[in-house]
Order: sequence, then structure tokens, then C-alpha cells
Amino acid sequence: MGKYFKAWNLILGFIFIILFFAVLYPILFIFKASFIHPETGAFSLKSYQNFFHYPYYLRCLRNSLFVSSLGTLFALILGVPFAFFLARYRIPGKNLIKTLGTLPLILPTFIGAEAWLMLLGRNGLFAKLLGPLGIDVPSIYGWRGIVLVFTLQFFPFIFLMVSAAINAIDRSLEEAATNLGSGRLRVFFTVTLPVVTPAILSGALVVFYLCIENFGVPILIGEDFRVLSVQAYNEFISEMGGNPSMAGALSMVLLAITLGLTLLQKYWVERKSYAMTSLNPLEVKQLRPLPTFLIWLFCAGLVFIALFPFAVVMVSSITKTSGPVMYWGQFSLENFIRAVAIAPRPIINSFFLATTATLIGIVFGVVVSYLLVRRRGAVSYLLDLLVMLPLAIAGTVQGIALAATYNKGLIVLTGTWMILVLAYFVRKTPYSIKTTSALLQQIDGSIEEASINLGVPPVRSFIKVVIPIMLPGIIAGGIIMWVTTLAELSSTIVLYYGPWATMTVEVFQRIGSGDFGPASAYATILIISVLIPLFILNRVSGKDLASSL
Amino acid sequence: MRVELTRITKRFGPLKAVDDVSLSIREGTFFTLLGPSGCGKTTLLRMIAGFYTPDGGEIRFGDKRVNDVPPHKRETGMVFQNYALFPHLSVFDNIAYGLRARKLPRREIEARIGKIIGSVQLEGLEGRAPSQLSGGQQQRVALARALVISPQILLMDEPLSNLDAKLRVSMREEIRRIQKELGITTIYVTHDQEEAMAVSDRIAILNRGRLEQVGAPAEIYFRPESRFAAEFMGSSNIIELTVEGYDEAAALITAEAGGQWLRIRGQRPPEGRIVLSIRPEWIGVADAAQAAEANVLSGEVLSSTFLGPLVRYRVAGPTGAPIAIEVHNPDERGIHGDGERLFYRIPPDKPVVLKG
Repeated sequence: MGKYFKAWNLILGFIFIILFFAVLYPILFIFKASFIHPETGAFSLKSYQNFFHYPYYLRCLRNSLFVSSLGTLFALILGVPFAFFLARYRIPGKNLIKTLGTLPLILPTFIGAEAWLMLLGRNGLFAKLLGPLGIDVPSIYGWRGIVLVFTLQFFPFIFLMVSAAINAIDRSLEEAATNLGSGRLRVFFTVTLPVVTPAILSGALVVFYLCIENFGVPILIGEDFRVLSVQAYNEFISEMGGNPSMAGALSMVLLAITLGLTLLQKYWVERKSYAMTSLNPLEVKQLRPLPTFLIWLFCAGLVFIALFPFAVVMVSSITKTSGPVMYWGQFSLENFIRAVAIAPRPIINSFFLATTATLIGIVFGVVVSYLLVRRRGAVSYLLDLLVMLPLAIAGTVQGIALAATYNKGLIVLTGTWMILVLAYFVRKTPYSIKTTSALLQQIDGSIEEASINLGVPPVRSFIKVVIPIMLPGIIAGGIIMWVTTLAELSSTIVLYYGPWATMTVEVFQRIGSGDFGPASAYATILIISVLIPLFILNRVSGKDLASSL
Repeated sequence: MRVELTRITKRFGPLKAVDDVSLSIREGTFFTLLGPSGCGKTTLLRMIAGFYTPDGGEIRFGDKRVNDVPPHKRETGMVFQNYALFPHLSVFDNIAYGLRARKLPRREIEARIGKIIGSVQLEGLEGRAPSQLSGGQQQRVALARALVISPQILLMDEPLSNLDAKLRVSMREEIRRIQKELGITTIYVTHDQEEAMAVSDRIAILNRGRLEQVGAPAEIYFRPESRFAAEFMGSSNIIELTVEGYDEAAALITAEAGGQWLRIRGQRPPEGRIVLSIRPEWIGVADAAQAAEANVLSGEVLSSTFLGPLVRYRVAGPTGAPIAIEVHNPDERGIHGDGERLFYRIPPDKPVVLKG
């Protein structure tokens, strides 16, 4: 590298220092902590022995794998046909179905869980309506409810990835198969489906990852059905102040799984996917009225069922309540008054923390994107690995690691609002980097060289030429960072303390105490705060909101 | 400004992209770096611009060593292969970019831009965005932007490769006209030998990072020094033969080629194996009656391609490898078909004995 990159080398060094302390060190710290005997403080394998010895812990692992497998399976069963139907057939209202179909990805899962509790829980709407008629409402508690929520919230991932793969198929591929003598079904099973299979697998891995790292759903409706993330949290809360040894061990087990899934996704599935450029997309067929209606019913119905819980939450926020008892049909603004006027602090906290983390993340993300795309080499490979690592770490694990690391010692952040900003920054900046670096990849490096050649020094050239061109990507990345931060529960719940409770914490705790009305009011504010920026982004840039996740 | 490269070397990992290249480019010259992709020509240009630092050797602009001068202080104007226009700036602002970096007063910026816009014929397009321009217009903006800062050296990296064939010809003429008008030292990179011959004062042929030959276009065409230069500039028949003897004045060599005799005038290679380059258009067609004459050879026609103004033959050659022959302005009845025996004459003063 030439001498004129000196300024960038300094920046690179600074970035590595930040990443080391924000990403790598906490994980290493908790890794080390997991090998410390909870009572004696000496090096020991006690926590791992406990994990493999007590069926209690092993059951958590089994439960995690069980609900994640089922969630993935059902997401596939619903998501794959959903993608195929929308890509290949004429269906009324297709664009609306597509747009709404991706919404569940962005809406917080724990709010979905809350809605199902209000519908199918012990004091739920269905129990109230059907109970007097002597009809038993199926229980939402335990693994059934968890799988239900996972399926409905994560099937859009399968949909997005599979439809991207379908759209990449050129019409000639199927025509060639037909020309060689294959019938319609044969073409589908010998050509179309195999070509799309890597995308299906990839989507399945992503969904499995999302299920196993999820915290909000199992803790709210799992009850006695404990999963790894919930158990790690419970152990951490009870160990706080002592040695986070058992929480550390559980975190490491979860980390091994999520890391493995990510590596599998990155190196195995991505290598197997087929790169194609589609000149002529597949033909969109018009079916006869009855099949068209059935397909429409499936697609529209699925979207309706997936979004229905959020409508329920929004309606319940303006419904009269008293503790867990909802007076459906009687409207009142009391919940909002209590949330906004009496306890507005969580709202302010959420906005403040999300905005701060996003602003830092944007600046950091722009610089890192630039280094990743423009200064390729061994160092940028390491940088890529480090900066994307948090995407492979469950929020609970990240929270535990940060809290334990910065609890004492030179830098004490635990118990301050800064640790929340740090966690959000670490966990959400990858989204900002993804969008900005994707855009930067399309900008030829010579643009910047042209500016340098005309007499503007490198760093100033970057500011004057590259940043303005990247601006749409920066804004899109920032919005995605902001909304996902706002909806973050898993790391927040570990890291917040009293006055810095966020809206997500508030929703979570009020559901826990059966205070559904105010929970719904905060949840509704959360939903609206997430949807409005995404809606604006969609209008302004025509960007598919969820595709950036 | 004179440009002096002394023993320049650049490595990318194990690969020597530029290997011990020395060049002296005189003030006001249109100098072209010519070679196939991967030959190191763009790497060399980027070292002159300062985007790469040479691993060895020295770059001088005039008397000043510039190895350690950062690219933004080298005062070179560069035209990039894809133009690299700033998409967020108008045509005017693109051209003004370098002037503003130099903090020139606004009035002077406007005056200079007015002048350059006239000479590259972009009048009336000042307010447009780059995306609203045609390829040729974008090319002119890139050229204007590089020239308006009055650089000492103009660098051009395959500037015409994104244009269609017709536009390429007219643009290269225009680039040459402007270069002559300004008298600016220009270093031009291309892989297109015709383009190189059309615009250059001098050409350097590069191959695998090494310099093959430097010279005026006609010099390289008529007197290639290496097999690579002979084959890359135009096409050439490469024949290996054995020198058998010389005449009294040592002006005529007799050489044996697969049982047939060939005489070459005006060059004196050492005895033994030599490599000869003969361009297809230098070889004339003879008839059977002349078979016994000096330098008339014959062979079976392997393929015959009629292209209108010329016919291209591939004939079984004396040493096994086929010989390419181009007959310009052919006679309708004089075209030989596949399998026929073709007699041809190699003029004794045309072939070039290659070095090495």
C-alpha cells in the first residue's frame, strides 16, 4: 500500500481497538468465566459438568432444538409455497400481499407472543367466548405457542430468500427442460426446485438461527418449557455479583450453536447457490378461477393470520382493561394516558438510546464499509469477521457477556445507559454496514481516484465524493438500525437498570405482571415507531423494507 | 513535462506486474503503453499517477523525483476507463471540482470552464447530470475535467474502450487534436494496436510486465525486435530457419527452410538458427512458371477466406507451420480454393530477423 494511505491505517487501528473491546473481549471474558468454579473461583469444568450431568440443563438444550426445528419446519411448509404462488401465478392484490407478507419480520416477536396470550391465554378472548359453550381452547403455553409464534413471524424469511432465487431463474431454463421432453411436474421437480433448493436451505438455517436465539417468545409463553436463552438469562440474574459461571457455560453452548449455524450458512450453503442473471423472468401464469381463489385464500389467509396479532395488540391498547381482564368492545384512551403522561420515561429512553446508537453506528458503519470494500486484503477479511460476528451471537449471550465484562475493573459500564448503547451499537451496526457496503460495491473505485488525481487528499476525497454517493445506503442502513434497536428485547433485558427501562422492557414486564392494557399501549407506540420510518423509506427509495435485514 | 522511469518494478504478491521497466518520455509526446490485458500497462500508469508505489526504481517528472509525492499533489490529469464522473455533481461541477480544490477565484473557474467546454464541444450541457449524457459526452466531460486543471501530464487509461467502434475513431482523432493544440505530454494506455498507431508519437510494447520494444509506430511495425512485438502489432508469420551462408558482400543470406531456399537482404544474423518475421501482406502470389525463381515457394492451400478487398490464405508452410498470406485487391478469377497448390514469393528485403 502506498504512503498516502497513512491516514486510513490510523483509522483502521482505531477501529480494531473498538471492535476488540466491544465484540471480542466480552466473548472471551465470558468464555473464561465459564471455566471458573462457581464457589472456589479456581479453574474448573464444573459448570460444563453440571450442564451435561443435570437433565434440567440438557432438557433446555433439547427444548431449544425442538422448538427451533419445528418452527423452521412449519416456516418452510408455509413459506415455500407462499413464495412459489406469488412468483408464478396471477393473484388479486399480489403487491399488497407481498408487502404485508414481509412485515412480521420487522415486528417484535414478543409483541406477537403478547397478542396470542390475549387471544388464547388463560384469560384470553377465546377462552372467554368459547369457555361458556363448553369448548376447550387449545393451550398456548409451552412449546405449541412458541412454535406458533416462530412460524408466523419467521416464514417471511423463507419467502424472501426463495422468491429472490425464483426471480433469478431465467425463463429459458424451464423452456430448455420442456424442449427436452419434460412435462410440467417433471420440470418443477428436476429443474426449478433443485435450482431453488440452496435458497430454501439457506432460509431454513436463518430461521433456525432466529428461533434458537429468540428470548422474548419462550420467556413469555414458555412457562415451564425452558429453552437455552431463557435459562442463561435466569442463571445470570441469580448469579449476578458472583461468578457468571453457569450463565457463561450456557452462553457458550448457545454460542457454539449460533456460530455453527452461521458458518454453515456462509460457507456451505452460499457455495452451493447458483449465480444466475435472469434476462427473461419466469412467466406469471393465469389459472382458472377456482385454483386462483384457493391460492389467493392461502396467501392472503397466511398474511392475515400473521398480522392479526398485531391488530389485536393495537385494538387492545384502546380497550378498557383492568389488570389481565380485558373489556373487549369498550374503548378507552386510559392505557395511552398512563403510558405517555404518567410514565413517559421508557418512551424517551427508547428513542434516546436507539438514536444515539444509530448515529454512532452510522459513522462507524460508513468507515468500516469503506475499508471493507476499498481496502481489501488480509486485514479487511479479519475486520469483516469481527464486525459481523455479533450477527452470529444471540442477544441474550451478548448482553450477558457485556454485563459481566464491564461490571468491574478498569472500565465500568454495567448499570449505566452507555452499556445499552454499546450493546445496540455492536448488535445493529452490521445492518448499517450491509446496506452501505452493498451500495459502495456498486461505486467504482476510480471515482475516488479521480478526485484524488484532481488534487483532493484521500480522506477529504472520501468525504466529498464517496459519502454523498453512499447517502441513500447510509440512510436506509440507519433506519433499519434504528427500528431494530427500538425493538430489541433480548440484550436490553439483561443490561438495563431501573431508570433506563425501555419500551420493550416495559411491555415485557407488564405482560409478566398481567397488566395487558398498558403493555399494549407501549407495544402500539413501538409498532408505529417501527412502521413509520420503514414506510417512509419504502416510499422514498422504493426499497423493500425487509430485504435489508 | 518530461517523464523519466528508471528500472521500475511492482509486485503484487508473487506476481511481478511491472518488471524492470525504464522509459524516457519527452515533453509534448503522445506516448502509448500498448499490450494485452495483464501486461502491466495500467499498473505502470497508476504508478505514474501515484496510486501505486513502485517496489523498485524511480519516477521523475522533469528533474523532480516523485516516488514519494502523494497522488493528489502530482499535478497529473487522469482520464479513467469508465470516466469516473461524480454522479452527484453536474457537468459544470464535475469539471470545476479540481479547480475548487485549488481554491481558484470563482471568476477564473468560470472562465477556464467556459474555455474548456468550448474545446471539447460540450456547450449547453453544463447543468446536466452525468447520467443524462451519452457515452461520448461523458468521455468529453472526463477529458475536460482532467485538462482544465492545466496538468503537466495527461494520463489516459483505455479511455475509448467503452465507446462503440465508430465513436472510438472520431474520439481518438479529437483527443489527438486537443493534445497537439495543448502540446501536453500524454501517456495513453490501450490494448488496441490500431488505436495506438493512429494516435501515438511513440509506443512502448509491454508483455508480462516487461518492456518489449519502444519506438515510433512505423518503426515497430516495420522493424519489430521480438516475436511478441511482431505478432502484437499487426500479424506476422514467424518462421525458424537455418543460416547456410552469406554472399561476398555479406549482404545476402541464404537460409534453408524445410528443403526450400530463401534469400534475405540487408541484415546479417549469425550463422545457425534464426527466427524470421514476415507479414502476410508482404508476401506476393506467383505462378507455377516462376517456381524455379529465387524466393518462390509453394504449398497447399489449407483455407481461403474472401473478404472483399482482400483474400486471406493459409498455406502449408515449408517448416510445417502454416503461412498466412494476404492478397490485397484480388482478381476475381485469381482466387485459389482449398487444396490447390499456391506459389508465393517472399521479397528478399522485407523479412525481419528477430532478436533472441
